[in-house]
Amino acid sequence: MQRSLRWWRLALLSLPMAVYVAIVAWPLLDSFYYSVTNWNGFSADYRIVGLENFRALYSDPLVRGALRNTMVWTVAAALLPNLLGLALAIALERHVPGSRLFKSIFYLPVCLSAVVVGQIWVWIYQPDWGALNGILGALGAPQSQRAWLAEPGTALYSIIVAWSWQQTGLSMVIYLAGLTSVPQDLVEAAALDGAGYWRRLWHVVLPMLKPATVVVVALSVINSLKGFDIVYIMTGGGPFHASDTLAVAMYDESFKRYRMGYGAAISVLLFLITLGVVATYFRELRKLDELTV
Amino acid sequence: MSFLKKVGAVLGALAVTGTLLVGVPARAAGKEVTISHYFTGDLGHDAITKIFADFEKKTGTHVVDSPTGHEDFKTAILVMAAGRNLPDVFSYWAGARTQFVVDSGALRPIDDMWKSSGLDAVVPAAIAKGATLYNGKRYLVPFGYHYAGLFYNKKVLAKAGITAAPGTWPEFLAACKTLKAAGVTPIALGSKNRWPGQFWFDYLILRTAGPEYRAKLMAGQASYTDPEVKAAMKLWKDLVDAGYFAKNANADDWTDAADKVSRGDAAMTLMGTWITGYWDGLKQKAGEDYDFYEFPVIDPRVPKAAVGPVDGLVISGNAKNAEGAKELLAFLITDTQAQAAWAKAQGALSPNVKVDPAGYSSVMRRALDVVSSAKAFAFNYDLATTPPAAEVGLSMFAEFMNNPADYPQQLARAQTQVSEVFKKK
Repeated sequence: MQRSLRWWRLALLSLPMAVYVAIVAWPLLDSFYYSVTNWNGFSADYRIVGLENFRALYSDPLVRGALRNTMVWTVAAALLPNLLGLALAIALERHVPGSRLFKSIFYLPVCLSAVVVGQIWVWIYQPDWGALNGILGALGAPQSQRAWLAEPGTALYSIIVAWSWQQTGLSMVIYLAGLTSVPQDLVEAAALDGAGYWRRLWHVVLPMLKPATVVVVALSVINSLKGFDIVYIMTGGGPFHASDTLAVAMYDESFKRYRMGYGAAISVLLFLITLGVVATYFRELRKLDELTV
Repeated sequence: MSFLKKVGAVLGALAVTGTLLVGVPARAAGKEVTISHYFTGDLGHDAITKIFADFEKKTGTHVVDSPTGHEDFKTAILVMAAGRNLPDVFSYWAGARTQFVVDSGALRPIDDMWKSSGLDAVVPAAIAKGATLYNGKRYLVPFGYHYAGLFYNKKVLAKAGITAAPGTWPEFLAACKTLKAAGVTPIALGSKNRWPGQFWFDYLILRTAGPEYRAKLMAGQASYTDPEVKAAMKLWKDLVDAGYFAKNANADDWTDAADKVSRGDAAMTLMGTWITGYWDGLKQKAGEDYDFYEFPVIDPRVPKAAVGPVDGLVISGNAKNAEGAKELLAFLITDTQAQAAWAKAQGALSPNVKVDPAGYSSVMRRALDVVSSAKAFAFNYDLATTPPAAEVGLSMFAEFMNNPADYPQQLARAQTQVSEVFKKK
């Protein structure tokens, strides 16, 4: 009985394992392999160059710029959409009229593809007739008008704002779910003890939201590391690489400069960073688990 | 908590693996010719499908067609090459990119077919020399080509009182001045995707230092810090400083620039003949609403060159049906009906001299005349120099449009990066 059960398990597992190895594990190992070669994408004639690609990464100004941009984005991703999402969740949690409608409205951007979000914001930022410059003009601040996506000083931040606009809805929903698990009697007890709204929020509600915060921060940080599609649509990494992320740099090196080996090295770098974030994330989750057990 | 944890764990695991994925394409085999190209949607999908059907009817060889969108194609073809899964035939851009693939040993020469099909009598000599020969052998069959010129809004120029197309640099500057005084931006440029800026560099360097110097620069045998290049950039800078370019070039696409011209906000834009296809789609009339003139002569001693890209077809080195592939290529270039239909669908010029020019619009007929009378046909920048170097230059042109005063430093930085590229070759 026991043996046949084990056999069944193996049989049932073999297909998903084969799929996993074929489409996930194998390409992953392949990328590691190509990252130590000088392969150009077309030639059958390439060789192993050891860590040369990684050495070159270190001194490549474009990769450094992309790494810095990715870091800026990651920090912004940990804060911007999550603070906004938290504020929205707290505001909409109470059953005031229209709160359901607003929840749907704020969640809506999550349902859009990054390409659509990118294009909407390209129009908002359009210098001649875009909404943002229009509003600035109407507010009597035409000196603040600029070509948001075409100037190196503003391109990256403009993309991060657009991206956060979409990400906020996701954070809000997770915080809303987190809020439902805050025991109401605890909040009421605090109120009986004379704690005002802000004190209750700060000392009771927010600490109870820590699990949601861990998930929300990890999700947006991981999403920001993958930042490619929205950049590709909005600026293509431009102007002149001012908004490159590691993912965009990887694409450019591999497919525009035909340096597959080097592109693979960038993807390995990105992989290691992501791995670090995810490892931290799992450690935090485990800690939380121990607390609640 | 445990629900959140589960969701979190799954998403976390997906994120790790998601950063490193490469596709594995599949392919059918058999007695047929496989082809992959970027002629999708507006770029001529219907026309090419019909052309393939005609080929099948004529030869009995089945064409297995797998088209990919123009931008995705750049990726897709490399993925296929990586998997040793290149189709028998694929479209590629003649020039430095094809050279790159030839040097990688991924293509098969077609000299025998070129001779047996008598293509020397079909393809114009300038294009045959520049686009089809690599390391002394034929590899590519031209399928269509384009020419870049100064396309303008006829009514806007007429209203400003400009009756004759400016043929020389002083005339061009005078026209810009007149237009600006009349309240029209003389030149629209949409360089958000970088490449539209290259035509300015191409023509300025070709009209001042000449095609031979430019070929050296593209091959890494001349420097971006040479006085020739600086002089060309200086001319470009003077145009920007004079306010002749529309503001925020890097915020606009080439179609945005085309729209500015067709709306009359700007007078002209330096663009390839595919703009005629775009404008025709917007019900603009060739020769009535829009027209073009050649990039003006700057130094009369310099032989006049025409700039443009050539779309080509090549046969992969590991083609399963190489004979069928050659048959298809021969058909696509020699069949005048197919060529005429294709040129019309794409707004392109046919590289087959036997195609009747009567099928072209008046504007395209003149473009053909310009190319035929030009002393040289030069590929635009991103097809003229090797891809890693082209990336450097394209970014430099975009940076220049934001900050023209810094061009000497931009050239110096570009030279440092480009010389690295050529050192590695």
